[in-house]
Amino acid sequence: MNRRPTAQAHGRTLLAAIRRRPLLQFALLAVALLVIAVLPHLGLMRFSTMSIYAYTAIYTVVALGMNILLGFSGLISLGTAGFIGAGALGMGVFLRMGLPFEAAAVVVLLISGSLGALIGLFSLKVESIYLAIATLFVGEILRQVYTSVPIFGGEFIRIGAVRLFGVFELNQIFQVERSILYAVIVGVLLLSMVLMHHLVRSRTGRALMAMSRSEHAAQAMGVSLLKYRLIAFVTATLYATAGGILYALYFQSAPTRAWTLNVSLLVIAMVVVGGFKSIVGTFLGAIIIYGLPNLLLKDLLGDISYVFSGALIILVILFYPRGFVYVGHDLRRIVSTLRTRARRAP
Amino acid sequence: MADILRILFNSMQTGSTYALAALGIALIWKTSRTTNFAQGSIGTLNAYVAGILLVSWGWNIWLVAAASMVTAFFTGILIDAFIIRPAARVSPISKQIITLGLIMVIVGLIPLLFGVDPYRLPSFIPGASVTVAGAALRYNTVFVVTISLALMGGLFWFIQKTRWGLAIRVTAISESTSRLMGVPTKTVTMISWASAAMMGTLAALIVAPQASVNPNMLLDVQVSAFFAGVLGGFSTFFGPVVGSFIIAFSRNFTAFYISDIWGNVIVYSLILVFLYFKPYGLFGKKSEKKV
Amino acid sequence: MSEVRPVGEVRPILELENLTMTFGGLRAVDGLSLTVFEGEIVGLIGPNGAGKTTVFNCVTQFYKQYEGLIRLTNDDGAVDLRDVPVTQVVRHGITRTFQNLDLVPDLSIEDNVLVGAHTRFHTGVISHLLRTPRARREEKEMRDRAVQVLDFLGIAHLKDLYVAGQPYGILKKVEIARTLMAEPRLIILDEPAAGLNDQETKALDALIYQIRERYHTTVLLIEHNMALVMNVCDRVCAINFGKFLAMGAPATIQRNPQVQEAYLGKDEHL
Repeated sequence: MNRRPTAQAHGRTLLAAIRRRPLLQFALLAVALLVIAVLPHLGLMRFSTMSIYAYTAIYTVVALGMNILLGFSGLISLGTAGFIGAGALGMGVFLRMGLPFEAAAVVVLLISGSLGALIGLFSLKVESIYLAIATLFVGEILRQVYTSVPIFGGEFIRIGAVRLFGVFELNQIFQVERSILYAVIVGVLLLSMVLMHHLVRSRTGRALMAMSRSEHAAQAMGVSLLKYRLIAFVTATLYATAGGILYALYFQSAPTRAWTLNVSLLVIAMVVVGGFKSIVGTFLGAIIIYGLPNLLLKDLLGDISYVFSGALIILVILFYPRGFVYVGHDLRRIVSTLRTRARRAP
Repeated sequence: MADILRILFNSMQTGSTYALAALGIALIWKTSRTTNFAQGSIGTLNAYVAGILLVSWGWNIWLVAAASMVTAFFTGILIDAFIIRPAARVSPISKQIITLGLIMVIVGLIPLLFGVDPYRLPSFIPGASVTVAGAALRYNTVFVVTISLALMGGLFWFIQKTRWGLAIRVTAISESTSRLMGVPTKTVTMISWASAAMMGTLAALIVAPQASVNPNMLLDVQVSAFFAGVLGGFSTFFGPVVGSFIIAFSRNFTAFYISDIWGNVIVYSLILVFLYFKPYGLFGKKSEKKV
Repeated sequence: MSEVRPVGEVRPILELENLTMTFGGLRAVDGLSLTVFEGEIVGLIGPNGAGKTTVFNCVTQFYKQYEGLIRLTNDDGAVDLRDVPVTQVVRHGITRTFQNLDLVPDLSIEDNVLVGAHTRFHTGVISHLLRTPRARREEKEMRDRAVQVLDFLGIAHLKDLYVAGQPYGILKKVEIARTLMAEPRLIILDEPAAGLNDQETKALDALIYQIRERYHTTVLLIEHNMALVMNVCDRVCAINFGKFLAMGAPATIQRNPQVQEAYLGKDEHL
């Protein structure tokens, strides 16, 4: 092979290099998302569109946690909405009590983390559909608490301007500050992707997979089901709650009635459609399930957009069961077979 | 005493709606191995059919109820044929999410097909009631409870005593073995979806007079039906039914005597604790795993 | 009963005393006593349904409701295994393979082998999340060891491939590699030759010897392939219907009339 590398070949090796470096992929994704923070100021995008991207990023964080459960640990939770709500409303309550932002976040994470641990304990006894519905119980209990307990207010808890690290006061009514808030969310998204990548490519990740796919061998090799179920549920809960905290940070007000089963199911759909075990796929899932309908379809199709996303979920599962993250891979395969065929045909 | 009776009568009616939905969910779980989150939406869709027939064509409630049962039957069959059957080989979790897609499609279609205004449906037997020990018992309650129980009783008889019922039971135990033994599992699954859709629709027709026909009318019924399923245990068909009445009664009871706000929370937490000690429900059995 | 003592080491590593395991009235294992000495290769044989795997499941504590005593003696002294939770058994130096392979299909061969090193790691979740230098170093050490073990088994070149879709012979080796990663004192092999072709079975003889030599372990195995049992085992214990039949050198067991009777009609194995 003594050919001189062409620009095209350079491009291909660059792509291959990106494919091999997940951390680089996350960074590129974050940069792309950060560009969106600037666009509205240049008049190239509406600020409301940026908010849709913010919400997509928040959903991605939540869905990453769900992927740890579904993709790696073979477990399911139907109570995710309750924990996103815990993050958003909990921040509302504690910020109003006068706690600094960071302290409030830690307290909220601790509280939901312990709830997650309880579910983990529960999962040792209860399995399959019973476990799924047990988590639905938890979600429903939380929802009832949010809607009926007075400290959570009526329809909304208003939070208002947020002071980060005790210095940076950010209020989402101001356009510049809203862009900064958006950038913070993208930063947290990048962080959660990196942390998850580290976790699943370690002894812990292997133990989670062994626990779900070869339970007996895992036990024989010393993997404690209790410990790793706890890790799975606590991590998933913390990711969901972090999503809620980001919601409170960006929108600076938290609804009490929004945290229904359908939200939890949407999060699961993001993982299913995006791809089990794939971090980038989870983001794709969030874009397809939440971003696409709200960015494009609502304008194009109006009321049908909801039907369209529902149909999309069904179609992707029926015809693309491994998830959207494999689209690139499959396209490459098709292209290369076409190429070899073209080469063979004289 | 009158209070308790009133709660009991109330709970019989709500319990019936939960039981109808729960039995549908159990039937589908056992034959298709998927949790049908769309059970409520399917019922709601057909309640809209009843609503539009009543309002636009002026049919009476009995006729529209019958008509909506027929449309429900076909809704179930269509869903099975076009969505569930092609999904036979996808992973169990993906299969459950398909029913979420179904909810979105149905909830999205409703305003397009029926408009955004909610419909009102009358009770089957409006107004009249009889007083039992100081508590009013509406004839409508007696009627809906009776017809629900009769329908479920008929289904139990069908499952326990007929050849098709046997086919359902063996499909529930092992779909693949049954198929190899020549059981028409496809038809069994189809019948299950059709029956589940009809039961969901009946539940919707019972709820409609109190709540009006709107996209979220069965949200509470749907969730409660899932809870009833785990409380009674999915390994029998009567477990979810018993669970439904227990949940309906204890929710009404705690709401009346303890707290309207905390009633549900208390009941749900108690069931969770119960589930910790009996992980397969009241009548459930554990299946052993081989090392 | 005359026990043939192994030459050299005489310290017992595993002792079963009067082991009985009942499933709903059926005695799968019935008063079985057996001693395995350090450094031995012991075979447990018996017709199908004799209770062999049940014995293994009791020893590795998957079954806890057995009667009798299972004692393990390692460098730290003797332990009644009943007091050891199933996930802690490996920490006392026992690992096992499974009759129907129990691997993670969507992990690479190397990662599957690393699952075996689970108890050898010292870093926990937090260090993994942050990928601290210590976690990184440890991961690297373990990966190097995994490659060594895979190399020893001759499959190091396959380490990056997924387990799903690999031939049976390779998967059996992956399971053995996984047990070796745990640095065991006693390896329990449940039908290591099942599903292997003749060539692979022959190679297994040598492999089991090499495992003992290189990793200084004791081996307890269940096997239906009598040629393998006769070739590699120092001693063989025969059971039938959960009851002890005979124990001794392979040749003696082969000639034992009781054992022959138990296998009657299954001559092709002998």
